Amino acid sequence: MSLKKLRVGIIGLGHMGKIHMQNSLKLENTSLIAVSDVSKKALKDARDAGVKNTFDDYEQLLKNPEIDAVIIALPTYLHLQCAMRAAEEGKHVLLEKPIARNVQEAHEIIAAAQRHSIKLMIGYPLRFSPTFRDFKEKLQSGTLGDVEIASAINISNGPFTHRMQDYAPIPVSEWWFSKELSGGGTLIDLGSHMLNLLRWYFGEITDIKSHFGYRFNLDLEDTATCLAKFQTGTLGIISVGWFSQTTSIQVELFGTVNHLKTQPHTSNPILTATKMLTIGSSQFSTSYMAELRNFVNCVICDFSPSPTGKDGLKDMEAISLAYKNQISLAATNDSGFRSSNS
Amino acid sequence: MSAVSFVKIGQNRLKQAILDSLDLIHFSFPRNVENVVIKPNMCYYWDYSTGQTTDPRFVGALIDLLREQISPNIDISIVEADASAMKCKHAFRLLGYEKLSRDYNVKLVNLSEDKTTPIEVTVNNQPFRLRMPNTIQSADLKINATKIKYSLERIKITCALKNVFGCNPYPKKFRYHPKLEEMIVALNKAMRFDLCLVDGGIVSGIQPRRLGLVIASTDPVAIDAAAAKIAKVNPKKIRYIRLATKEGLGNLSFVEKGIPLSYFRDRYPKKDVRTILVSRAYNLAIRMKLGKKLGLE
Repeated sequence: MSLKKLRVGIIGLGHMGKIHMQNSLKLENTSLIAVSDVSKKALKDARDAGVKNTFDDYEQLLKNPEIDAVIIALPTYLHLQCAMRAAEEGKHVLLEKPIARNVQEAHEIIAAAQRHSIKLMIGYPLRFSPTFRDFKEKLQSGTLGDVEIASAINISNGPFTHRMQDYAPIPVSEWWFSKELSGGGTLIDLGSHMLNLLRWYFGEITDIKSHFGYRFNLDLEDTATCLAKFQTGTLGIISVGWFSQTTSIQVELFGTVNHLKTQPHTSNPILTATKMLTIGSSQFSTSYMAELRNFVNCVICDFSPSPTGKDGLKDMEAISLAYKNQISLAATNDSGFRSSNS
Repeated sequence: MSAVSFVKIGQNRLKQAILDSLDLIHFSFPRNVENVVIKPNMCYYWDYSTGQTTDPRFVGALIDLLREQISPNIDISIVEADASAMKCKHAFRLLGYEKLSRDYNVKLVNLSEDKTTPIEVTVNNQPFRLRMPNTIQSADLKINATKIKYSLERIKITCALKNVFGCNPYPKKFRYHPKLEEMIVALNKAMRFDLCLVDGGIVSGIQPRRLGLVIASTDPVAIDAAAAKIAKVNPKKIRYIRLATKEGLGNLSFVEKGIPLSYFRDRYPKKDVRTILVSRAYNLAIRMKLGKKLGLE
């Protein structure tokens, strides 16, 4: 393919879709042709931001011959249907994580991509974070020795993050509350990020066990800790949760020679603003932009983008096994509450 | 002058603390009660540990007390309405109220789905058209089981008066924000609660803190004035408290009963000057539509 600019469409203008829209409008070798969403307001905002074509049905976007690639940022239960249709229309796909709700759907998406010879990349922005790329380099250079234990933590409010738009609070979308629609809770949502990162560092997972917490009485786990054994022999401890008002993403690698630890990241808006003013961008906005740039460059230069659909599938297989291999721990009380009034 | 009581919760003695707080203000539950409404404070999906939401155990202790003192057979409804970003069906579950409902055999009522009667209330000589939920209208006893929350926004204090704002069945409450103070007072004039109790087990200020406090009063203005003083805010500077006083909802002055208010004021996690300044800068940036550019949104 000899394209100078990749012509993209974005399907879904939720939190992630908006980030991709802003980045697509900024990226020099990308032309944002169209967006689609069911929200009229989201489409109006897109037009205000300079997007010419807006659709309330993604089928119209997919049928546009001017579009080479699509970014799919829809709820998880729509990934299969939308990715399959995009592949049928010959559009390259950047699909937000998790690839799908389960292993079967992941297989179907990958098969469709292969059948129609389109490029499929899964959105894992941590792979593009300067910090985590630096970790990868240090691991490959051998300066840590053999990493025996790796700890990966991703704690936040998850879907229950209180977001505002134009002073109006945004309700949590209903699909998040449904196991059938989301495929699972915090493990599939945040755990997929951390499993993918550790797989990138230490190879495939050979065994995994998990323990889940249900503080919020949902059918979905809101806390998950997994013990995973990797091909390299490293033991991974992955802890994720939707229970905290403070976001914390931390990775620690304990090698036979050296240790590596991320600087604490928190969602303190003042710290973020200070970084934006002094450095020009936050760690995460850098990662999203680098992720998009990688996808665009791979399509333009006809390279295979990474993380691949197979990466998404491997993560889903690990998650599926973790759901199966649950460890029970004796409950401390049956109320679900800690003692606070004593 | 109204009485406001302050009680420290003893080790696992929540019910006793509530009872003591009622005794101090000489409140006893009326005997001829069949239907009781309890309005806890629910805030988004933030549970009791954040200090934003009434602890279901506090409500559970109150239910025990009601059944002991009135009758084991009274009908109790826990009420809340949908808000701009909070749906009752999820909040009841996430915040532990579904479990409470099962354990204590009480009803959970989403006021946004309740039958309503249109009413008109005047505040500051302005008419406000409201919808009165039937569950509240038909209750023999209405208890406001609220929190103390301090914020840097214009409202400053959330306590008893503000909690009644959550009884408005209309979900998109942010639309009322231009006339928030008037609306709070209008709703309180329409739905007069018989008793206000503050679950101060955990309070919310610069951060949550275990204060182990129960406050009781039959006067929502007096209890809000007390809450403001605990949070080190002059209640006379809070517009909706002044307005509520003017509209005859209660008295700004009150008689302290029990442990001195100053004991809790000294332990309240008030925001410091630095946090206030930083927060004002943050709000200014948002108002100037710099939020996205600075990565704040």
